[in-house]
Amino acid sequence: MNAPLERTPYPVARLLDGQARAILFDAAKCIGCRQCVEACKDWNDLPRGDTGRIGGTTWLTIEPPVMEGQSSVWGRNSCMHCQFPLCAAVCPVEAITKYEEGPVVIDPARCIGCGFCIEACPWQVIGRNRAGGKARKCTLCQDRLAGGVSPFCVSACPAGALEFGLLEEVRAQARQRAAANGATVYGGNEAGGTQVLHVLNRTPAEHGLAAVAAQRFPPHRVGLGAILRMLFGASGGLSGKWRALGNALRKPWRLKYRYWPGRGG
Amino acid sequence: MTAEEPGMAQQVMAADDLFPATRKTPLPGGYMGRILRVNLSTENFEVLPLPEEPLLKKLWGGQALALYILLRELAADAQPLGPDAKVVMMTGPLTATGLTPGGTKMCAVFLSPITGYTLGRAATSGFWPMALRAAGYDGLILEGVARRPSYLYIDEERVELRDASPVWGLGTRDTENRLRELVGHRDARVACIGPAGEHVVPAAMLVNDYNHNAAHGLGALFGSKKLKAIVARGTRRPPLHDKKALIDAGRRWRKVLEPTVYTVQQRLKSPGYGGLWGAITRNNWRSTVITDEARGFDQNRVTLRPCFQCQRLCPWDVEIGEGPHKGKGGHFNAGSEWMDTFYNLGLKGNDVLQLTERINDLGIECGHFANAAGLAFEAWEKGLLQADRTQGLVLQWGNHASVERLLEQCARREGWLGNLLAEGVEPLAKALGGDAPQWAVHTKGGSPAQHDWRPRISDMLDNLTGSGGMKSQGGGSYAVSPRDLANTEQWGPLDPALPEGWARSQMLAEQLKQACGLMGCCWFALIDINAEDALNSMMDSLNATTGWNMTLEDARAAGHRSMILQSIFGAQHGWRAEHDWKHVGPRFLEPVPDGKYQGFTIARWLPDIVQEYYRLSGRHELSGRPLPGTLERLGLEEFAAWAEREARP
Ligand code: SF4
Ligand code: SF4
Ligand code: SF4
Ligand code: SF4
Repeated sequence: MNAPLERTPYPVARLLDGQARAILFDAAKCIGCRQCVEACKDWNDLPRGDTGRIGGTTWLTIEPPVMEGQSSVWGRNSCMHCQFPLCAAVCPVEAITKYEEGPVVIDPARCIGCGFCIEACPWQVIGRNRAGGKARKCTLCQDRLAGGVSPFCVSACPAGALEFGLLEEVRAQARQRAAANGATVYGGNEAGGTQVLHVLNRTPAEHGLAAVAAQRFPPHRVGLGAILRMLFGASGGLSGKWRALGNALRKPWRLKYRYWPGRGG
Repeated sequence: MTAEEPGMAQQVMAADDLFPATRKTPLPGGYMGRILRVNLSTENFEVLPLPEEPLLKKLWGGQALALYILLRELAADAQPLGPDAKVVMMTGPLTATGLTPGGTKMCAVFLSPITGYTLGRAATSGFWPMALRAAGYDGLILEGVARRPSYLYIDEERVELRDASPVWGLGTRDTENRLRELVGHRDARVACIGPAGEHVVPAAMLVNDYNHNAAHGLGALFGSKKLKAIVARGTRRPPLHDKKALIDAGRRWRKVLEPTVYTVQQRLKSPGYGGLWGAITRNNWRSTVITDEARGFDQNRVTLRPCFQCQRLCPWDVEIGEGPHKGKGGHFNAGSEWMDTFYNLGLKGNDVLQLTERINDLGIECGHFANAAGLAFEAWEKGLLQADRTQGLVLQWGNHASVERLLEQCARREGWLGNLLAEGVEPLAKALGGDAPQWAVHTKGGSPAQHDWRPRISDMLDNLTGSGGMKSQGGGSYAVSPRDLANTEQWGPLDPALPEGWARSQMLAEQLKQACGLMGCCWFALIDINAEDALNSMMDSLNATTGWNMTLEDARAAGHRSMILQSIFGAQHGWRAEHDWKHVGPRFLEPVPDGKYQGFTIARWLPDIVQEYYRLSGRHELSGRPLPGTLERLGLEEFAAWAEREARP
């Protein structure tokens, strides 16, 4: 379906066996309890509260942002673990790694807090650390995956609305369920394909999900404000700016993902 | 944070040796380490440090720790609804870790406004107890009376007593929604009273997170203190001694629960808990036979609405799908006393669910209403009550409109009957006169949990010995000894029709369920104490959280301490064990009137079986006070003044 990239504009690594995996979210089964949301906080030692919107301390939300039980349609909103992650492509210091098994992970030690990824992500699911201003988001529980166990949110779900498995199997399962219930699959083609598939019984918008084109690295131009903030702001410090500059000089072809959108992929 | 800033909670120095200004012992894992004292009269807020570790190791949290504090704090002559009344609310070390089932509990203790002479204990689950801990507090001490209707807002260091006039008079649902808007935090959690609490109806409840109620009169205390609600939020979490071990123990606990997880299918057909043994309360306990009570339920849309990080999925929401209430919603908790409540007035089907939503919105404990209204309906049937005293209402069994109106009258104390329904079944029976007292169901003036327990020996014991005169402190019918206790307890199966062994079973179940509550966990997450690993996974969860090394024997001792403290509190206020079988509405002890248990009654073994229960638990069989040896064994010698002195008869 997707031709291989000539060269990947971000680091790629292997955690386990190199086999692609995915989360399956079945909206028909979701009861909006938000146990997944709190479980994510538990696993990652994130503060409680602010469960209504994505941020530095909330990496997963269940939409709409109303109290548990107050809606009959729910949606899961978190990093989609794009197969072609634009967030990683625009990062000026290559702080974001795509793992072959699925996880797209920000390395906080390398992040300079420029916010390019936050702007570029088609789903707007990257938050910012209040202290330090670094980008934070769902890791697909990469640290659990490395030990062969499912993401914590998945293991917490009491309603069977979340599953985790090999991408191919999850894809087949999603198609089968969609066909059986007159539902649709979301996430299979968006942004060139993701590793979080949703089975939806309403439109994506009704489940709180953005409409994202099927093309890899959906066009995005980093805003002037963000560029200026990176150049002259305090975040990342001088060494961070130096690293960004060095990267641009060594790999100038990466700049197109930021400044000449549409040329990517 | 500066001391001068208004609205900021202040750390006090050495208020009392119970709350040490400088800890001599480390704070174990699982505790926030702070209790907030709120004086409503002076609007003074103090942050008290949690007691030292040796006391925490004895009492853990929840009811026992709260009661220990209340025993120290409550003035001997305080009236249940007077200005000196106090409420102590406490979570436990497992509340809000998020990593075990049932880690959702808060228990409040106070002098019961319903009985006037026993411990009131109001426990609740849902999300509010987690929010209190997220705000950074293990518990609260409420004292004094607010100058005007107020609500308390707790957002970590920010503590404010705010004007409640925008929500005064509103039902619990609107209050919750409105207060969340007013504080501007979608994740704030609200515990509030409805009109019943505002009118100081003795059995008013505190209602939280739509689906949950802390009953036994707590709402009346809030009303008497002009406290409409407590809104809590925050970002903190209890520190954990060994997170990895806790995740593992929590997973085992969850596995134990799996066979008992509630499903939508059950909610679409079940007539409630009584369906389990095949008896419900109908027409003021004069029939038990289940007929078509659940009719129409299968047309409803049901959503399970679990408590914070619990996988048992007890609470549920409904959208009624048929009949006159079609389209109306409702929020229900785990039990189903509210179903039996309206069966007891001759109602069935979705009338029951709609009325339940009303009673929870008004904030009245259902059993209290069930038995008072049941008596009124029977009095009407028998000609003892006429329309002149009902404000024209016709009290015919199953009359939905009358019941709905009566609920309003009760919550607002309207009219002769409304006021007496509010006061409770005993005052109503007295006012009705004639034989009415003979038809009453109550325990110590309160209501038992509204199920027809009469065919079940252990549950009857549980309800008769319950302190609030109402719901039990956590027993249940367990016919065989728990597997996880196989090396210390081996008995059963007990014969459900014979008294032998049930007192012991009840005492053990109470110890264990108390222990579960003291951890800050919900008894509904310990529903099958016999299941393999049920108790061990719970203990491993506690130890992983706190860093302790507690055994099941320690758990039984902790639960036992809670039971003993409760007796001591009762003794201080005039309770004696004898009240358990003497101060009971006669109908509750009548033989089962019909159905498959017809003729069965525990009355033939009274008081022996209750006395056996007290003896087994080291208390005097008439006074209910602990024997000196019991206090010694449990390390509660400081209460020696309340021990039984006289020789056993
Ligand atoms: S969803 Fe956004 S954050 Fe996640 S991989 Fe894709 S672009 Fe990156
Ligand atoms: S904030 Fe900037 S440096 Fe950090 S991960 Fe995002 S793009 Fe990279
Ligand atoms: S996969 Fe892990 S990090 Fe991502 S939302 Fe789930 S629990 Fe959080
Ligand atoms: S835990 Fe499962 S059911 Fe609950 S909100 Fe998350 S996905 Fe939905």
